[in-house]
Amino acid sequence: MAKSRRQLDSHDAAHQQLGAVYAKALLGAAENAGQSDRVVEELESLVSDVLNKLPQLEALLKSLRLTHEERLPILDKAFGGKLSPMLLTFLKVVSKHGRLNALRAIAQQARKQLNVSRGRVEVLVETAYPLSNPLRERIVGRLQQLLGREVILTTEINDELLGGVVVRVGDTVYDASLAAQLKRMEQVTLIHTKQAMRESLQRFAVPT
Amino acid sequence: MKFNADEIASVIQAEIEKYESTIDVREVGTVLEVGDGIARVYGLSNIMAGEMVEFPNGVNGLAFNLEENSVGVIILGDYLEIEEGHEVKALGKLLSVPVGEAVLGRVLDPLGNPLDGKGPVSTTELRPVEFLAPGVAGRQPVREPLQTGIKAIDAMTPIGRGQRELIIGDRKTGKTTIAIDTIINQKHSGVKCFYVAIGQKESSVANTIKVFEEHGAMDYTTVILAGASAPAPLQYVAAYAGTSMAEYFTYNGQHALIVYDDLSKQAAAYRELSLLMRRPPGREAFPGDVFYCHSRLLERSCKLSKELGAGSLTSLPIIETLEGEVSAYIPTNVISITDGQIYVQPDLFFKGIRPAMNVGISVSRVGGAAQVKAMKDKQVAGGPRLALAAFRDLEAFAQLGTELDAATQARLDRGYRMVELLKQPQFQPLEVVDEVMIIFAGNSGFLDDVPITRVQAFEKEFLQFMRDHKGAIRSEIAEKKELTPELKTSLTDAINLFKTSFAKGK
Repeated sequence: MAKSRRQLDSHDAAHQQLGAVYAKALLGAAENAGQSDRVVEELESLVSDVLNKLPQLEALLKSLRLTHEERLPILDKAFGGKLSPMLLTFLKVVSKHGRLNALRAIAQQARKQLNVSRGRVEVLVETAYPLSNPLRERIVGRLQQLLGREVILTTEINDELLGGVVVRVGDTVYDASLAAQLKRMEQVTLIHTKQAMRESLQRFAVPT
Repeated sequence: MKFNADEIASVIQAEIEKYESTIDVREVGTVLEVGDGIARVYGLSNIMAGEMVEFPNGVNGLAFNLEENSVGVIILGDYLEIEEGHEVKALGKLLSVPVGEAVLGRVLDPLGNPLDGKGPVSTTELRPVEFLAPGVAGRQPVREPLQTGIKAIDAMTPIGRGQRELIIGDRKTGKTTIAIDTIINQKHSGVKCFYVAIGQKESSVANTIKVFEEHGAMDYTTVILAGASAPAPLQYVAAYAGTSMAEYFTYNGQHALIVYDDLSKQAAAYRELSLLMRRPPGREAFPGDVFYCHSRLLERSCKLSKELGAGSLTSLPIIETLEGEVSAYIPTNVISITDGQIYVQPDLFFKGIRPAMNVGISVSRVGGAAQVKAMKDKQVAGGPRLALAAFRDLEAFAQLGTELDAATQARLDRGYRMVELLKQPQFQPLEVVDEVMIIFAGNSGFLDDVPITRVQAFEKEFLQFMRDHKGAIRSEIAEKKELTPELKTSLTDAINLFKTSFAKGK
């Protein structure tokens, strides 16, 4: 359940939509300055290294009690000199519109949009056991060949799969796991056996 | 019976040996929120409207709303086990139900699962629930009658095969009874019947099924049930699922009859879904496309062209009004879609006039073309509709207590007797020959000297008399389906003969 809860936070549809708009603007500005990759990386590290570790700071930034003017010095003090000036300005703009609560969605959308514009695709691979490095490379190579794009691989271990591999590209799941195979085999066998029994019950009767 | 486990094991082994493993490719999404029979799903980016999805607990759903960031899914089954974060799988197919001879005599839910405890429905054939109605080239005018076995309806608002005749009226006025009688009367006509119960008390549906069984109607009837406790999505889908099962026969050159009992509850279920999906409400809070919801359903009832096998699907939608308010949204919609309506009224019902049909405003827009010739005859059903309407006016006038001239009095007397004659107890449909003979007798004035209280006894004994003593005339009418002058003379003679014995028996 914990896992699905985490996924859910990242699927807040309204925030994602909002995030997409801000991310587009940010990337547009960064692209002109030629620093898209750096800005996105910084934004992601802001989320993962700062907000995740300092929940109080996140709560403070999101808080409705503070006005934009009160938030400005906090932003300057906390991030001045540590972030690229463009990102700091961006944070101030987001703060001005009172949208700092959508910062995580903005970071996700920015990464997504950057990937699309760079011709990259994110792929999640689930396996029952940790992947060895050569295997990992073989999977990446094969996927790149199939998808015709650069693959950014994320891996996850899920022992419920028993064996095999589940590849997720966007909303499409290619399930070659042992668990799914067994389940399907069970379904097909059940249906066919039931049908066989219905067709000729006599065959299954114990001769008396 | 004992089962041989080895034999079963060998079948399973053979299955496993020939099992071919393929990679399961699926389009997935995540449940964002769920409740009241609907779910909002993130992902499923390539899903199409009306496509089936599957939840982890095996429950199916239908993609109902496609929005920019999420997909609204209606859940066809138990939604209480579905949680936020569950994976939803697109199945890439449309909702289908089992069809074929095997569904006859069964009680099914809107997805085709049995509810009667008689085991699985053994058919492999499926048919999509949403099916496009045939176009103009695929149809022909309605031309065969569908006998309801109810004198008043067969005589005055006849129904043809392929017609859509609305039954409308307040609660407890005998709407369902008209439909049940019609189904019972199809016993020897070969018409397959489908009774779709939407949002009804399960106890009343159980009663209806019992009546069908008692009259041997269950052999050719399927009951599709989405009761009052069924979730709104099932109530909404039930009408389309039933139509799909009936269409199987229509497209195989046979005749089918479907009763939607009732469409006001289906509309309410659709309204519930639409509001939960946040579609904008319109008049009476119904969504804008509630008209389309009914029109595409009823448009599937038709008489198919010869090339398509000349099958037919007749439908009897039922609409419940509140306090006789026919100008509410759903009643006006369905009145405008159907080919006529039978309007039943509580005041008539409580006066003992059953079926409580208001003759003046009940119409059939095509049925006349499909009436048997004998019934259409001037001396049979040619006149009573207008005569009865005129009678109602006269009756109101006569209540003022004014002196009436002899002619008016005679018309009144005839009217009273016709009203009495058109009364019919429930679950006793009549054969069309009997209807023709008794209405002929009444309309030609043979009952004018029979006391009003004795009219029903007259009818009963007369029909018995014709069956026992004048079988030749009866079978000739049944065969020719027409009243030739010679037949009329012999029928008149028979009536006169009967009247002498009837008068004696008084």
